[in-house]
Amino acid sequence: MAMIINKETLEHVASLARLEITPEEEGPLLGDLERILGYVAQLSSVDTSAIVSKRPAMTELRPDEPSEGLTREAGLGGAPAMRDGFVVVRNVMGGEDE
Amino acid sequence: MTTTIGLEIHVQLATQTKMFCGCSTAFGDEPNTHICPVCLGLPGALPTLNAQAVRLAVRIATALGCTVHEVSEFSRKNYFYPDLPKSYQITQFDRPIATGGSLPIVTERGARSVRLTRAHIEEDAGKSIHAADITLGGETLVDFNRCGMPLVEIVTEPDMQSGDEAYEFLRNLRRLVRWLGVSSGDMEKGAMRCDVNVSVSPNPAKLGTKVEVKNLNSFRSVKRAIDYEEQRQAQCIADGTPIMMESRHFDEVQGTTTAMRSKEASNDYRYFPEPDLPLLQLDPTELESMRAQMPELPWEMQSRFERDLGLSPYDAALLTEERSTAEFFQQTIALYDNPKKLASYMGTEVARLLNERGKTLAETQLTPATLAGLLTMVENNAISNTASKDVLPLLVDTGTTPMEAVRSLGLEQVSDTSAIEGFAREVIAENVTQVEQFRSGKEAVLGFLVGQLMKKSKGKANPKLAGDTLRRLLK
Amino acid sequence: MSSELPRTLEQYRHAVRAHELSAEEYLGETRQLIERGDPQVKAFLHLRLDAARSDARAADPTSPLAGAPIAVKDNIMMAGERCTCGSRILEHYVAPYSATVVQSLLAAGAVVPGKTNLDEFAMGSSTENSAFFPTHNPADLSRVPGGSSGGSTAAVAAGFALGAIGSDTGGSVRQPAAFCGVVGFKPTYGLVSRYGLVAFGSSLDCIGPIARSVRDTAIMMNVMAAHDPRDATSVERPHVDFEATLQPTLAGKRVGIIRELQEFDVQPEIAVAMETTRKAAVSGGASIVEVSVPHILSALPVYYIIAPAECSANLGRFDGVRYGLHEDGRDMTETYSKTRNTGFGTEVKRRILIGAFVLSAGYYDAYYKKAASVRQLITDELEAVFQSVDVLLTPTTPTTAFKLGAVTDPLEMYKADVFTIPANLAGVPAISFPAGKDAAGLPIGLQLMGPRWSDAELLSCANVLFTALGGES
Ligand SMILES: [Mg+2]
Ligand SMILES: [Zn+2]
Repeated sequence: MAMIINKETLEHVASLARLEITPEEEGPLLGDLERILGYVAQLSSVDTSAIVSKRPAMTELRPDEPSEGLTREAGLGGAPAMRDGFVVVRNVMGGEDE
Repeated sequence: MTTTIGLEIHVQLATQTKMFCGCSTAFGDEPNTHICPVCLGLPGALPTLNAQAVRLAVRIATALGCTVHEVSEFSRKNYFYPDLPKSYQITQFDRPIATGGSLPIVTERGARSVRLTRAHIEEDAGKSIHAADITLGGETLVDFNRCGMPLVEIVTEPDMQSGDEAYEFLRNLRRLVRWLGVSSGDMEKGAMRCDVNVSVSPNPAKLGTKVEVKNLNSFRSVKRAIDYEEQRQAQCIADGTPIMMESRHFDEVQGTTTAMRSKEASNDYRYFPEPDLPLLQLDPTELESMRAQMPELPWEMQSRFERDLGLSPYDAALLTEERSTAEFFQQTIALYDNPKKLASYMGTEVARLLNERGKTLAETQLTPATLAGLLTMVENNAISNTASKDVLPLLVDTGTTPMEAVRSLGLEQVSDTSAIEGFAREVIAENVTQVEQFRSGKEAVLGFLVGQLMKKSKGKANPKLAGDTLRRLLK
Repeated sequence: MSSELPRTLEQYRHAVRAHELSAEEYLGETRQLIERGDPQVKAFLHLRLDAARSDARAADPTSPLAGAPIAVKDNIMMAGERCTCGSRILEHYVAPYSATVVQSLLAAGAVVPGKTNLDEFAMGSSTENSAFFPTHNPADLSRVPGGSSGGSTAAVAAGFALGAIGSDTGGSVRQPAAFCGVVGFKPTYGLVSRYGLVAFGSSLDCIGPIARSVRDTAIMMNVMAAHDPRDATSVERPHVDFEATLQPTLAGKRVGIIRELQEFDVQPEIAVAMETTRKAAVSGGASIVEVSVPHILSALPVYYIIAPAECSANLGRFDGVRYGLHEDGRDMTETYSKTRNTGFGTEVKRRILIGAFVLSAGYYDAYYKKAASVRQLITDELEAVFQSVDVLLTPTTPTTAFKLGAVTDPLEMYKADVFTIPANLAGVPAISFPAGKDAAGLPIGLQLMGPRWSDAELLSCANVLFTALGGES
């Protein structure tokens, strides 16, 4: 039977999730994921052609009135690096878009 | 070579608070001073949707003739970036609030309408300031004040063919959002941002490779970026070098575009329905009343001014750039029934004064009543056109009535015959030679004599009356 | 004060109002129990006993909770207190605000002795996935208390608190309640605010009360159930007094037994407990109806797609940029992965990876979309069943508490949630109540499920069975 998830897929998914898989982790992790994904794949046999989603709708929206927020200290006091009120991170120019 | 252009425009909605929290949307404050657990993505915080943002989005979508959907859905768009605190953006994907619609533009190809694909609501990310020197691995500074600002994203069909058309589209869209009070449309403050998709193809029948240029923050940049891409891609085709399907960055200084660093795997956004927000359901009766309350749109009013009032396209466009100006004009023609004259007077004298004062009409003391009064006095020869230029500043600055202004400046035009006859006799007595020349048939000399009379009357004499009187006395 | 210490919240409240006992005195007793017992049980991640004492001193004896000690699971925000979620990535995180439920509890006179241990980010069924230490089952210290709210249930079982709150995404309140021999209630989704609960599976997460009697959970629900404008999934409902609506009988009630679940193997004593409880229901005036929920066994695979998918997005915010653990890398990509690799434990990583997989291009339709449809199918089937029965009776767990370290295979661990997960998928209320003990003297828990918004009726039915089986009325 064909594998659901291989090394490449695992690495792709890990990079999406910003997790790096150590060589030691890789083997066992692949085994676990293969078994879990194999197990949940049983749903493919359920006929859902007639199912209509019944998500509820919002009962109220928020009025456009300012409310008390957090001070910079309370909100970002735990940030690893701050300068002149900005949060400082490694340069990401030209990285992922917004 | 045919160029095909589509636009994705983010318009910031003019609300008091952010899309999903009560933080202020004020621009230009100290970094990270409009923050709360929700827009900082603190653990445990949950989004609540701003009712006014929805209203404004529906308003713009309705004006653009979109189909506004009674039920729409929010989704999470997942990617990692330091200015995206939750690691996902709350946006709309499968079920946007509006689809379809169009916006008219006028270009060298004539009047056309650009079709819209969709309009959806979403939250903005924070602001990243990138340290100058990337190569030396500098730093990025992040301000979360902008994070969570309410946006409507408008996506066009690939219906434009030049930078000028894109420019026109943006100009007209900006006029509309300001007209409706939906957004300041201020690109400098990021209230309108634009991504362009440009593809050049040697074969008009088939599209070329789509290249995206991101985050253009002025109309000029949009035009420049498109113009550059047009020739760059044309060159590629000429050289037979392949055109990459990629996102490019526009360099304001060089006026060139450069490919962005490959986005790793981040272009797999793993959209899924936002579980923290149930479906957005709009009340059909509210939608209907919004449609009913929609004001006359700028381009509608513009063509009405041309068609019914016979204004020049230039004047009509000028008067419909700002809704307040257009309304001032309409209130004034109700009192002074000479649209063409009013239009040109507003376009010249009034416009010049506003420029000098650096004010908008609304900020001055000028009212439709006083402006109409002034122009009526000119029409009735109560004052000369020249004199009106001295009166206008008083109306603009002090708000006095034209009557008072004219009196205080002593500019009433003299139309009383006896007074003018007096001046005329003096002129005839003092200019014997010219009188002889006129009598011997030199018509042109009359102009000189009228000039003399005007001088004596310190410009107040009614020029026509002066001419007639002289002519009579010289018979 | 009376020699006999109150054993339930209700008895406590009575004693305090009768001036036989003060909140401060009771907290003193509780403190001794904690200091004596918690080094073995390890229910708490952090204690705040000194602060709690002054809170107790200040507590209003006429308030709904009258200064009673209520423990709070460490994935629920309490301003000024650490909130670690049992994870390295939030080891030193201090909550800058309080969850709505915590505010309500404090306003109602609750005194919080400490924050309780849990499986990291509530992902687990044994509390062994806590990054700091496992919690032990007070009924047998060699066994797990269940999870993920193992700290809260152990605290209540061991007398470290009269009540506790936990979070229930797939059974995390009910399953440990069953293992520890206490009552655990998962309300209808939307009845109790999620604001301030660190999200795991947002469409499944519910905060629920844990106590020593059904009545006590009703007393807590009176404080916890309220519409919250800060949670868009919270629903405005007419006010109900959960305690006042408790009825003495099951007269006219129809109790359903799900045919498909009987195929599922359970520990023999649990099958016996089911039988005993059926009889108790009948003598309580109820009728027993066998019903069919054809796809109920698909709930487990559905859950292990939906919950990881939502968690993969919910846990993305732990990126070392604004708060929490930060491990510097050469660039942001490396900083992210170093931070998250160091900060997250194996089970959390496993679920994030499953979630990212089922949402990723090419797999979304086959996994996430399919699971969402089957979830709707199960919800519809349950709704249909509740046309013909008032409540459904099931075991809470297939087995009683297992030994620490006994279950190492993740898939095996997941199967401990087979009975509890359907209620989360359908958003219906469900309660686990003690129903005897097994041969080894370990508590057995049974579950009642009801239709959405039937929370008061469900508590009433559970109370009758619970007391009939010897629980505190
Ligand atoms: Mg967008
Ligand atoms: Zn905010």
